[in-house]
Amino acid sequence: MADEEEEKEEAIKEDDHGLLEASVADIIHNAKRKRQMEKKVGARLGMMRHLYIILDASESMSIQDLKPTRFLCSLKLLEDFIEEFFYQNPISQLGVIITRNKRAEKVSELAGNSKKHVKEMQNMQQIAPTGEPSLQNSIELALKSLRLLPSHASKEILIIVGALTTCDPGDINETIQNMKTDSVRCSVIGLAAELYICKRMATATGGEHGVALDDKHYKEQLNAHIDPPPAATRLDAALVKMGFPHHALHSSANDSTMAVCIHAENSDESVKLLSTGYLCPQCLSKHCELPVECRACGLTLVSAPHLARSYHYLFPVEPFKEVSYSGTPSTCYGCQKILSQKDKKVYTCNKCNQTFCLDCEIFIHESLHTCPGCATNQDTYQRSTDRI
Amino acid sequence: MFKMSNEIETSLLIIVLDVNPVQRIIKQETRILTQCLDSTIVFANAHLMQSSNNQLAVIACHSDGAKFLYPCEKPVEIRQIDGQYEKFTMVERTVRQQLQQVINEISLDKPLNGESLISGALTMALCYVARLEREKIAGEKIYSRILVITASNDSATQYMNYMNIFFTAQKMGIILDVCSLDQELTLLQQGCDITGGNYLKVPQLSGLLQYLLWIFLPDPNVRSKLVLPPPVKVDYRAACFCHQELIDIGYVCSICLSIFCKFSPICTTCHTVFKMPGPIPIKMKKKKKTIDIVH
Repeated sequence: MADEEEEKEEAIKEDDHGLLEASVADIIHNAKRKRQMEKKVGARLGMMRHLYIILDASESMSIQDLKPTRFLCSLKLLEDFIEEFFYQNPISQLGVIITRNKRAEKVSELAGNSKKHVKEMQNMQQIAPTGEPSLQNSIELALKSLRLLPSHASKEILIIVGALTTCDPGDINETIQNMKTDSVRCSVIGLAAELYICKRMATATGGEHGVALDDKHYKEQLNAHIDPPPAATRLDAALVKMGFPHHALHSSANDSTMAVCIHAENSDESVKLLSTGYLCPQCLSKHCELPVECRACGLTLVSAPHLARSYHYLFPVEPFKEVSYSGTPSTCYGCQKILSQKDKKVYTCNKCNQTFCLDCEIFIHESLHTCPGCATNQDTYQRSTDRI
Repeated sequence: MFKMSNEIETSLLIIVLDVNPVQRIIKQETRILTQCLDSTIVFANAHLMQSSNNQLAVIACHSDGAKFLYPCEKPVEIRQIDGQYEKFTMVERTVRQQLQQVINEISLDKPLNGESLISGALTMALCYVARLEREKIAGEKIYSRILVITASNDSATQYMNYMNIFFTAQKMGIILDVCSLDQELTLLQQGCDITGGNYLKVPQLSGLLQYLLWIFLPDPNVRSKLVLPPPVKVDYRAACFCHQELIDIGYVCSICLSIFCKFSPICTTCHTVFKMPGPIPIKMKKKKKTIDIVH
């Protein structure tokens, strides 16, 4: 623990003007580059992810080293995380558990709709963090529902812990063993310092363990969990039955039916009769959003683009080569920014040899997943589709 | 509506103009390209005229590349025309001059391809928007949209690029409008639907400017109040990888998300061997037996 504190101190270095900003920015940039480098082309990835977030709501979360408090900062970051998680993992599910007063409470069940989770997150801002957390109780609670999932699904737990203690009813080593037998991957983000037991939990189950330096670094650590982890080799593959619903746009006026999805259930919103929506091909019940699990027959409903959205994990853009800027070309091929000597490093694509600025390089690899140079070249634009 | 005085609202319009010389309608009548260009420039200036904060970018694309026509890194020398707003003259001259250059640069060594790299131009447009978003001053809001004007066909070879673009645009809040001059574009239709833009196949080419001004000029928040052509029915069904047929219910590989219309024991894409699912239909259990016999 003391070592980690020291490491924390060591990582932060002052620049020439005695400022820390640059040092933190460097750490983030290096982490980003590293994350991209680690992505492997065609690696087997667990697409159907089931993730439980265990959030510490003990007294230590009211400490103000993250602004305004550790707890509120976590909630805010998790809101973004959840949106981003579903954006990047469209056919995955997520659930939230909080732990305080030596107990674990399930805030939201495993579900595939981001809106519901975000709402819960916002409601949780009223909760006052109290008491001690219990790692074992909360992990056992998460395991209870993860255990039921089919073996082809990737099962994960992400623990965010601010406390340096845990109050457990039994031997936590048994819980770690249980996670291993159920092939659950458990990762931990510490807000205070590294704990031996958390580190062991993460290494034993193949997860990651990190300690957040500040709010920016914290966000980075969270975002690392958005990309799917390389699936463990023993994970079973399966063909999953899915429905591709029709877009019922103008179903004739007299059969405007009630949607059966979540929106119809909300008591605070008036139930609406809609003429548009998506009809489940198996039982013809109507849903207003995709992707969703049909509430009548349980079939997973997706649209073709939802599946296509995940293909970029299988066919990512190869990392660009970092070269020092020599004066040519004069502009970045992507954003048309005029390059000058201030841009010390520029990036070139190995396939199309076009040059990009640092910002574009990050944008292309993190969001766009298509190289503009390759996409505007007759010989290379088919790159990604060829390999399917 | 009450607005903060220091809040600047910018509306950015990026026009992607397909100038591929082997498009069917241009091959029939070369004059059409000039006519489209005229309409596009008038439309672009109309956008600039709406507010002095409005911004514009024009990208040309063909079968072997894409290039920014406006704004241009080396602004051309322009003599002002009396009575015309300098910016309009600037847009018109720059676009025409740059376009001439683009067309002259099309190499005749390679066989001309009928498929324009619209997806390539769109990736550049997104990078450009991302840069403006990074460089904007505090309090500034940029509403971006992209308009594609094309007479080419969209083909499945750019499918992956298109999908990446559509979802990036959706995430960034960029609206994609498509104006097709010749054929129905099923892929780009999906893009319009995902990002909330308008799609129109121009019924009469001679009225192009009219359609542009009517459907694509109004700001997206005004559009809901206008009577526009009814939205097209977008087909979101998936084509299975085995027979390329559109299916309602299919089987998806949990590893690579390939789509199959029938259960098969091995994924043809990633060569994964599947474990037989327990809870799903009896039909499959029968198949399992037959496979066991084969082994």
